[in-house]
Amino acid sequence: MTGSKKTITNKIPLGKSERITVVIANIVLTIFGLIAIFPCLHVVSKAFSLGTRVTAGQVLFWPNGFQLETVNYILTKTSFFTALKNSLIVFALGTFISMITTITTAYPLSKPAFKGRKVISLLYVISMVFFGGIIPAYMVIRTIGIYNTYWACIMPFAIVQFNMFIVKNYFEGLPESIEESAKIDGAGDIRTLVSIVCPMSKPVLATISLLYAITYWNNYFHVMMYTNSTEMRTVQLYLYDIINNGQSFAENLYSGMYSGGVSISPNVTTDGMVAAAVTMSLIPIIALYPFVQRFMIQGITIGSVKG
Amino acid sequence: MAETGMNARMDVRKHKPSIRTKLHYFIVYVAQHPTLYLMLIPGLVFLFVYKFFPLYGITMAFKDYNIFAGANPIDAIAKSPWVGLQHFEKLFASSQFIKVLTNTLVINGYKVIFLFPLPIICAILLNEIRSRFYKRTLQTAIYIPYFFSWVIVFGIFYSLLGSYGIVNTWIASAGLDRIRFFTDTGVFRGLLVFTEGWKEIGYNTVIYLAAITAIDVGLYEAARIDGAGKWKSIWHVTLPSLAPTIVLMLILKVGYILDTGFEQVLVFYNAAVYDVADIIQTYVYRLGMGQMNFSQSTALGLFNSVVAFVLIVGANTVSRKLLKRSIW
Repeated sequence: MTGSKKTITNKIPLGKSERITVVIANIVLTIFGLIAIFPCLHVVSKAFSLGTRVTAGQVLFWPNGFQLETVNYILTKTSFFTALKNSLIVFALGTFISMITTITTAYPLSKPAFKGRKVISLLYVISMVFFGGIIPAYMVIRTIGIYNTYWACIMPFAIVQFNMFIVKNYFEGLPESIEESAKIDGAGDIRTLVSIVCPMSKPVLATISLLYAITYWNNYFHVMMYTNSTEMRTVQLYLYDIINNGQSFAENLYSGMYSGGVSISPNVTTDGMVAAAVTMSLIPIIALYPFVQRFMIQGITIGSVKG
Repeated sequence: MAETGMNARMDVRKHKPSIRTKLHYFIVYVAQHPTLYLMLIPGLVFLFVYKFFPLYGITMAFKDYNIFAGANPIDAIAKSPWVGLQHFEKLFASSQFIKVLTNTLVINGYKVIFLFPLPIICAILLNEIRSRFYKRTLQTAIYIPYFFSWVIVFGIFYSLLGSYGIVNTWIASAGLDRIRFFTDTGVFRGLLVFTEGWKEIGYNTVIYLAAITAIDVGLYEAARIDGAGKWKSIWHVTLPSLAPTIVLMLILKVGYILDTGFEQVLVFYNAAVYDVADIIQTYVYRLGMGQMNFSQSTALGLFNSVVAFVLIVGANTVSRKLLKRSIW
């Protein structure tokens, strides 16, 4: 379809109103694109620039006086790696668990003959609109004994109803005949799910796992609510701490310098440190971005609108 | 309906099997597919523990909750004394309540007014870009902030707009007073609206863009033959074709007006801007976790949930009536 559209637009010479539209579209969207990208470039540039130039506001959208000391300081002198380890565990374990629960819930509910599908589907819809509130949920987390553990960080998204319904709808759209033939070959429900249904649903499963992965990686509120020790801090909490307490970090740093402790380069400034921490936290998202490009756009069309 | 009594009886039997036969079918089905039922267990466990169990905690709103009253926080709910609607009365009479309600509506209202049209414009313009490569590049650029957490967005904008950020360095070098974006009550709401747009426009643009690519090319050709220029075909073909998507998105935005913006405000705000930025959910959080006033916090949370529920169900009804599409 897009192909035919292209040939049409190429054949007919541009009229005056077309040309004006194209020019306006290019100008407006280039401005939007720059607004989206420049703040990111600015923060990354600051992370790698000389401290004096950061403080003087001489860093724009490219490193000014390249140095790696700030990044080095963030990596070695702060608890970045503990936070990274926690984030990776929550993100990997969480995505895995969520995918299991989502698939195993969506599969039975996608079968038209399944007895009880209406009641159970209704339970999930009800849970989407009724919410106990953040304080009751906090009390439950404390009561069941998972407070301040990885499980508490995973619990809130162990099954996201909306994602489950997307997968269920996709399963419903699969041709039934293939599943039937598997049944005739003697495959049980689990075999059919693992070796027939899941491989056939790769696009939707990829999209949903990406949604879960990003949700876990970006989650700040629940981790803050359900954990209280520095050892359990994830990257988001660590970053928030650096941004808000950059000043005290810097004071520690200089007092260390004056008391004859570790000598720290004047390149490590409060601003530079915040920038370096943000930059480090951006890396995983940027690394995932090619997959995001590939699967998210189709994901949006599959789910049409996020609730 | 069937005319003879015989047929009528058969119809009844066909459509309404007795509970016993239903139960029988059910047991037979379960016996044939036990794994299908076992599969549901993990999901249901999470559903009951994390979504339904907290519903019991709502009773805290009607009690004088003392966390140390029982063996654990949930047991303490059962052991705390009932106080009726006392917490609600206190809440509705407080000036704080009016303030957070106003803030929620004003901030989210601004977001709808200023940000809602932008993705539509972006998608229409993006569709006019000739170079496929440039189109993709722009789409990627606008879309990428959607995947950043609010903490990262906060870090980026703090770096840009903080007292010693690049923007304030420029302002100072121009001889003007530095703007305290994060603590000035006059600009803080603007900062919230702007960063919300910065993060979310790309995502919504992609939704509208998907709707635009679904429009029949024949409609544009017909418009062209009728002598319509670019603007006219956008006005008479693109926009009407997008109307259902636009209406649905607007309904959703209004339906979720009490539920949005929590994490953003929680991350961005500070004591200096509580007057203009404290929304219902951030206040629920501070009442509960900050002041340990669990009962009143739950009462406010319950008020929020009930109003949000009415709004969401209302939005869904409107959407179903108007567009024949249900949110869930």
